[in-house]
Amino acid sequence: MQVSQGDRIIIRGHRVGEPDRDCEVLEVRGSDGGPPYLVQWGDSGHETLFFPGSDAVVQHFDHADAGGRS
Amino acid sequence: MRAVEGIRRSGIAIGPERTMREAAEIMERSGVGALAVVDGDHLVGIVTDRDLVRRGLARRLDPSARIDGLMSSPVVTIEASADLRTAHGIFRTNAVRRLAVTERGHFVGMLSVDDLLINLSADLADLMRPVTAETIIGHRDSPVPATTG
Repeated sequence: MQVSQGDRIIIRGHRVGEPDRDCEVLEVRGSDGGPPYLVQWGDSGHETLFFPGSDAVVQHFDHADAGGRS
Repeated sequence: MRAVEGIRRSGIAIGPERTMREAAEIMERSGVGALAVVDGDHLVGIVTDRDLVRRGLARRLDPSARIDGLMSSPVVTIEASADLRTAHGIFRTNAVRRLAVTERGHFVGMLSVDDLLINLSADLADLMRPVTAETIIGHRDSPVPATTG
C-alpha cells in the first residue's frame, strides 16, 4: 500500500450496519510510502499508528491539484 | 496461507505514554479488542480490553494512568511469512488470544483466534458443500465409459 501525507484511508465496516471509518494520514513512518502511518481519525480526532489490512482502502489526495490553482 | 494473510482487521498501535482512557476510547471506536504498544520502531507490548478491566478498573487505577503500566510484555509474536499452522501451534502453547504479526521485527498487524476460526469455518464450509449436496440430492453416478469388444 502506497500512501502519502494527506491521503485518506477508509476502513470498511466489518459487521452488517457498522459504518465505515476514515482517517487522514498525518505522517508516513515507513519507507517508500509504506506503513506505519500516523493517522487522525475522523470520528474521534484520536491520533494512532495505523497498519492497514485487507479492510482498508486508500483515497489518494491529488497533491498537485491542491497546490493552489486559481 | 501466510500469517499476514490471515489478518482480517487493520492493526492499530499507540505509544506507551498514552492513557488508559484513550486506549479504551480507541478500542471502542475501532471495534478492536487489542492495541499494539509501539515505542518508536519497537513493539513493546499489547494492551487488551481485558487488561483495561483486570489491571486497570479492578485495581482502581486512574483513567489517566499510562498504558505501559497495564500492557502485556513481552509480546507473543509470529513472523508475517509463517504458515498459519504455526499460529495454531503458538495458540496451543500460549494462553493468549492474539498474536502480534511482525515483519523483520516490526509490527504489521494483529492475528486473533477469531481470525483463525473464521478462516477455518470457511474452509470447512467448502469441504461440506459436496457432502451436503450428496446428502440432499443423492449420489451422482458417473456414466460408465463405453467399451468395445
